[in-house]
Amino acid sequence: MNLMADILINVIIAFLAGSLLLGLHRKIMARVQKRPGPPIVQHLIHSLKFFFKETAIPKTVSKVFYIGIVFILALVWIVGVIAGPVAHDSLLILFGVYAVYKIVEHNSGSSSGSPYGKLSCVRAVLSAASELPLFVAIVFVYMVTGTMNIGEIITYQSVHGPLVFSIPLAALMFFMLIITKSPYSPFAITKDKVLISGFETEHFGFLRGFMLFSESVAWYVMLWVFLTIFFGPLTAVGYLIGMIVITFITGFINATTPILSPNHSVMTQITIGAICFFGTIIMIFTGVVA
Amino acid sequence: MDSQKSIYVILLALSTIAILACLVIDLEAWIVYAVAIFGIPLWIMSLGLLTMARPKPEDAEERVKEPFTGY
Repeated sequence: MNLMADILINVIIAFLAGSLLLGLHRKIMARVQKRPGPPIVQHLIHSLKFFFKETAIPKTVSKVFYIGIVFILALVWIVGVIAGPVAHDSLLILFGVYAVYKIVEHNSGSSSGSPYGKLSCVRAVLSAASELPLFVAIVFVYMVTGTMNIGEIITYQSVHGPLVFSIPLAALMFFMLIITKSPYSPFAITKDKVLISGFETEHFGFLRGFMLFSESVAWYVMLWVFLTIFFGPLTAVGYLIGMIVITFITGFINATTPILSPNHSVMTQITIGAICFFGTIIMIFTGVVA
Repeated sequence: MDSQKSIYVILLALSTIAILACLVIDLEAWIVYAVAIFGIPLWIMSLGLLTMARPKPEDAEERVKEPFTGY
């Protein structure tokens, strides 16, 4: 298949699947809380609807930065689609994508001139300090498989079985990252409701639609990476079932867990990350992991 | 058509041509990646800048003066 056609198809799948999964996530949260909740397609409809809404640029913003940061948010997650589902390239590129994403969160808040955005921007730095170490789970994938290349990791798992069975604590570390990235997460300190919508508060109209597009792609890419590096070679149906199951689990956790204060959130993530990190090291050096 | 709209139309046309060129012509992988990484967000952004509704002239000043509205 033509490379550009492959990229376009994957970006469209990531957007549509990501939007529907985020809609499902919201529905599950509502049902757990005994509310009917919006239809599953609501997130997708919202994303498209905002492209036709009235958009004005407030006087307080840094104009180029304010629009440019939304462009960069989409750019980094399209790099994620290319490095992941399209090219099966290095996990280090995806680590870079996530690192830039945290910088975008920070700068999106600071570009707005809003106090809510600025506070969210400060919290983005705090959360980056605890989320990026969780991404270090990929180091254990490298220690076991001897490669960072996603294609080679899939091949390794087709011979030796899924990595979730050999390094479960590393998988748990990465799963923590997915919980953090999910909407209404107990660790979503950058989008705490006391900050309205956090770093997104002053991005409304079509810019909000553009951000929702990127977030849908981001959710799909994160789930795809997790399933690919820990659950081995999967078919399209396997990916679909896996993504729905993870969305169910995160929806249930988020519906039943209140958002933590920033210091509790960071300390919880660091504690779980440290336990999983040292646990996996012990497993590797005591020969539990072959 | 004001000058801003003209710029958005040009950006939309450029990104569309670049993406279509990669679909039709068999270019080197790094060129296709570069076009995809910059072209797809540019296409969405220029489309959004064209489709978004603008405030009425009498409301325009009020919209930008109200900085902390959310959506």
